[in-house]
Amino acid sequence: MLYELNNLKKIYGKRTVLDLTSLSVEAGRIVGLLGPNGAGKTTLLEIFAFLSEPTSGELWFQGKEVEHENNKLRDLRRRVVMVQQHPIMFTVTVEKNLEFPLNIRKIPKQRRGKVIDELLDLVGMGVFKHARAHNLSGGETQRIAIARALASSPEVILFDEPTASVDVEHQIAIERILREINQEKGISVIFTTHDMNQAARLADEVIFLFEGRLAQSTYENIFSGQIVPGENGEPYCLVQNKLKLGINKGHMGPVRIAINPNAIQVSQTADDPPPANSFKGRLLQLTDEKNKVRLLVDAGLPLSVLLSKQDFAAMSLDMGSSIWLTCPPDSIEII
Amino acid sequence: MEFLLDSFFSALLLLWSIDPELVEIVSVSLKVSSSSTLIASLIGVPAGFFIAFREFPGKRLLITILNTLLALPTVVVGLFVYAFISRRGILGVLDLLYTQKAMIIGQVILIIPIITVFTISAISRIDERYRQTAMTLGANALQTAWVIIREARFGIVAAVIAAFGRVIAEVGISMMLGGNAKGFTRNMTTAMALEYDKGEFVLSVALGIVLLTVSFGLNIFFNYIQGRARV
Repeated sequence: MLYELNNLKKIYGKRTVLDLTSLSVEAGRIVGLLGPNGAGKTTLLEIFAFLSEPTSGELWFQGKEVEHENNKLRDLRRRVVMVQQHPIMFTVTVEKNLEFPLNIRKIPKQRRGKVIDELLDLVGMGVFKHARAHNLSGGETQRIAIARALASSPEVILFDEPTASVDVEHQIAIERILREINQEKGISVIFTTHDMNQAARLADEVIFLFEGRLAQSTYENIFSGQIVPGENGEPYCLVQNKLKLGINKGHMGPVRIAINPNAIQVSQTADDPPPANSFKGRLLQLTDEKNKVRLLVDAGLPLSVLLSKQDFAAMSLDMGSSIWLTCPPDSIEII
Repeated sequence: MEFLLDSFFSALLLLWSIDPELVEIVSVSLKVSSSSTLIASLIGVPAGFFIAFREFPGKRLLITILNTLLALPTVVVGLFVYAFISRRGILGVLDLLYTQKAMIIGQVILIIPIITVFTISAISRIDERYRQTAMTLGANALQTAWVIIREARFGIVAAVIAAFGRVIAEVGISMMLGGNAKGFTRNMTTAMALEYDKGEFVLSVALGIVLLTVSFGLNIFFNYIQGRARV
């Protein structure tokens, strides 16, 4: 196992950012850490990068328990490298930026040039070799940062939201680079994302994080909400003050719910009267998934819906069109 | 007003003729002030780095004290050092009083707070990501520190230049600890004060011109390297 965590917690002040009972990550794969903002993805990545010390619990790396002492950590950091969401370049040329990890590893001068050229080629940024690293765009910076990280010849490379702040052209290139790093160089890749599609596209394995805890990856459409008593005595769940969802049972107070994307019913017209838990949304995105079609619908909250191909074909849906969603109480699970 | 104009032209002539006494005075100033700036930088830059990066009890108090010392009057430093190095002082046996070394000691004390405080502020402005990036790329503590100092280089150079400007223009320490001995410890400011006392303005004005030119030259140099780095 590459990483193993036991009862690991990270607490900032009074806030528990991470609370993981047990988690293991295999070596040699591409692993996606999926979760909404604030789920603790970056914190977990920093712990994997040995940049942040867990408040309590065990962290094992390649079968050895990690001791958080400075001189020992440096040796570990030399095997793992992290590329931040907004990487920062040293205010020197691109070439010098890539030279930094080579320099501190005492790679002979004659070899450095060759390594730098190869890596810039790999990320497709050869023309920027002599450019001032600070004048690059976000996407260019991201790609150069990947090359710089690779210059430290890591065993593991950690990416924090590698494509969250770049345009589509760079996004495609970066995803290709991630695959290449993993397949051709055999480097283990762990990346965070809030994009379910990206996780599905890239990762061999997806770990789902929600509010600092592991969630089963089968859960989708996870929201935090509040169960409150309704007018007629039936409790309902108020999700982020936007949606009122009738539920089967549940204790009053804050909860997390997951709405099963297979159980959401879609129609193009509203029934009269509209059934319970019915609301209007706008179709934002369509994705092909094996024998199903995934609809991303903006219903005040982003909802993911899975339809069979027959049902989808029968409806002739257009992008941006309004549709009605019905979430039967059975489709809502309290987790 | 007329005497100032007359003195100004005579001063230009004096500079043009490269008067040996003038050269001597200027070289004492440059030598003493460069030495003190160098020594104070070697102490103040690492101290500033340390204070900016470490958390320790009394850190805020220390920064407040350093800020107060920015306004340290030169005569107070002069008096303080005098107490140590005069014949009756505990360092009296070293015979330091009225030497260039004594001037350097006083000037170092004067500008260590300046360099330290400006270094702290230069380093504090550096993005936290530089530290993390250096560390994840495998740098040890020293290499990480070097990265941060490199990113803060303009702020640190500005601190050093400000400190040099302070010592080359100060008169209290040079007078009290140097003694204005001709050929040994007479520098630009003490010579100017003396000439003023004598009612001789020509040399004073000439030295004033040199003093301003040195500062001007330094600032042009600083702007130049800063401008080059921003291209």
